[in-house]
Amino acid sequence: MIRQMTTERIDESTSEATLLNAAVLHWMRDLVAHGIITTDSELNVVEWNHWMESHTGKRASEVIGSNLLDLFPELIERRLDRHFKWALEGQVRVLSQALHGYLVAMPAVAAEHGYPQMQQAVRISPLKHRERVIGTLTVIEDVTERVAREAELQAQIEARSRLLSSEKLARNEAERANRLKDEFLATVSHELRNPLNAILGWSHMLRLGKLTPANAERAVETIYRNAKSQAQLVADLLDVSRIISGKLRLDVRALDLLYVVNAAIDSIRPAADAKNIRIQTVLDPAAAPISGDADRLQQVVWNLLSNAVKFTPKDGRIQVKVQRINTHVEIVVRDTGVGISKEFLPYVFDRFRQADASSTRIHGGLGLGLSIVHQLVDLHGGAVSVQSDGEGQGTTFTVTLPFVDVVSGEKEAEPVHLTQGDEVISFDGLPSLEGLRILVVDDEPDTRELIQEVLKECGAEVITSPSAAAALTALEQHKPDILVSDLGMPDEDGYSLITKIRALPPERGGDIPAAALTAYARAEDRMRVLRAGFQFHLPKPVDSAELVTVVASLAGRAYKT
Amino acid sequence: MKLTERQTDALSELINIAFARTGAALSELTGHRVVLNPPEVAVYRTEELRPALAKFVPGDVASIHQVFAGPVAGDALLLLNYEGAVHLTDLLTDGHKPSNHLDESAREVLTEVGNILLNACLGMFGNLLKVHVTFSVPRLHLETLDELIGSITEGKTDLHYALVVYTAFHIRDSSVTGFLVIVLSVASLDRLIQEVDAWEAQQSR
Repeated sequence: MIRQMTTERIDESTSEATLLNAAVLHWMRDLVAHGIITTDSELNVVEWNHWMESHTGKRASEVIGSNLLDLFPELIERRLDRHFKWALEGQVRVLSQALHGYLVAMPAVAAEHGYPQMQQAVRISPLKHRERVIGTLTVIEDVTERVAREAELQAQIEARSRLLSSEKLARNEAERANRLKDEFLATVSHELRNPLNAILGWSHMLRLGKLTPANAERAVETIYRNAKSQAQLVADLLDVSRIISGKLRLDVRALDLLYVVNAAIDSIRPAADAKNIRIQTVLDPAAAPISGDADRLQQVVWNLLSNAVKFTPKDGRIQVKVQRINTHVEIVVRDTGVGISKEFLPYVFDRFRQADASSTRIHGGLGLGLSIVHQLVDLHGGAVSVQSDGEGQGTTFTVTLPFVDVVSGEKEAEPVHLTQGDEVISFDGLPSLEGLRILVVDDEPDTRELIQEVLKECGAEVITSPSAAAALTALEQHKPDILVSDLGMPDEDGYSLITKIRALPPERGGDIPAAALTAYARAEDRMRVLRAGFQFHLPKPVDSAELVTVVASLAGRAYKT
Repeated sequence: MKLTERQTDALSELINIAFARTGAALSELTGHRVVLNPPEVAVYRTEELRPALAKFVPGDVASIHQVFAGPVAGDALLLLNYEGAVHLTDLLTDGHKPSNHLDESAREVLTEVGNILLNACLGMFGNLLKVHVTFSVPRLHLETLDELIGSITEGKTDLHYALVVYTAFHIRDSSVTGFLVIVLSVASLDRLIQEVDAWEAQQSR
């Protein structure tokens, strides 16, 4: 009796557990967010859950009873049928998304992830009953979103590591630039000191007054030459700084390129003659006129020529060719000089670079000329290239500029003829300043005196003031015709002075024409100068001829508000 | 228990067949030639497993673990060090850039690779022993070697042995070393060795 009861209870509980299991399985099939396929041992579909229905569009009633491989022949083509066969042999198989993509083709739910097919992770397992495989169970998981998220994360990691390596690159580049700058500074001080030595030495001897007239003349000549070369260095430095800060503006007009090239050749000729270097020219008249900044283009040609003269030994030859080729104009400067090694060719146009950076190098200079050439040609929309067969084989620079057909008949488009290279200042031919009373304001006595001398030389009467306050008094007292004022002065600067003057009524000198002097020749300084009330801006060091010309031109027109 | 040289050779040869299958399967799957080093087999008591493996797998371990049951029962594992696991998945999936972590997809790939290798080896043993082996679903674990060994020796009161097979995956001019570890009871190992002996005798006949 007891035994019977126990058996009954066991039967009852067993059947309850079995029922419960069956119920769980029933619900599980449709509750899980996975695809579930059950087959028999022949791979005929026995179960096809709701998820499979909704994702494949095939209803359970359509597929149950059909063979899985008939339903999806692609499984055989993709050799995935093996996994089912292995499962039938008792193995559990795992199919990863990364290696297979998917088991059964279904459209991806979230196609915006870039996967037209749903990406799947799959497990296939044998179904066993008493050590015998009676079927297979396949569980399919949609991993499309996960895969997309992982790819995104990976991309972010890669981007970050790219950023890191590019930062490292930038740091290296900055360090290299810093090194170049250090070398450059060493070169600058060397190059600036060289002419200074000559200037100091000879001027000291002049002051002692013990030089013969012939030697005194030689001293002045040497001082002038060295000062000139120093001025060129400073001008180059200023150009570079303007180019770097993007402040260099071109004054583009129609110009006669041949005239520009000839002017550059003329100014380099004395240096070439000194080394007995012959300059040959082949100039194509069809190459003119073009559109550009005449001064800057002359600077380009002059830099190339000066480079050629510097690096060409005595009795060498330089050829300058200008020709028009279709839509552009080519300026070719070829020399028979030392040439450039293959290793250095790519760096020729880099700032502060000279092939030989050692302190014992033979050729002076800052290595700025070619960099300036490159930048200026760039600004003209052209290109400059260099070619050399190696050391000792000479060098060819080719500048290509776009040829712009200049519309003739426009007055403003008339070719501009430049002033010749100012090798020697000559006061002949400069406008006379006779009868003009000029007020010169500068806190530095030397500059004041120099300007006074130059203006006096041209016949002007000059009054000088060491400060803005003194200038205001002098203005009312002497009624000058023209004002030439420094900008940077202690206590009160030139801007303040001109503002005060412009506030005065005309009868007290409020409309006096004025020119400003400054060492800062940047475009924004120029703008500020003009806005403050000056009509002209003269960069320091002052070029005598330019000063006289500006003053003369100021005398011709009064300031109009 | 110590294996004789002949037994070791025979076992190595048998496992090599499974490795060749694994290499072929992985080559087909990835489109790159995948070769597994000929196995080097050794038997350790499970207590000796820690010092034996610590030399080769310092730090974190990635393991793909499959339990098998039947007349011969035990645990089968593919062991890789963490960096090796990352490298192997990169090599197999044409990882565009070397990654330094195992994301879900990479773990899945490792699980599949372990699954292929373990199935090949255990399937080969099953055939040899003429028994049906039932496999569990492979699982990937990332843990320390101690934790791993703790989990496979846990609850095993009687003496167990571990068949340790050292190998390396060669793929795309790179290689990743790993271990196949099969933990068996004394009875299961005895039976396996008997069958290996018989197979060896048959081969040399």
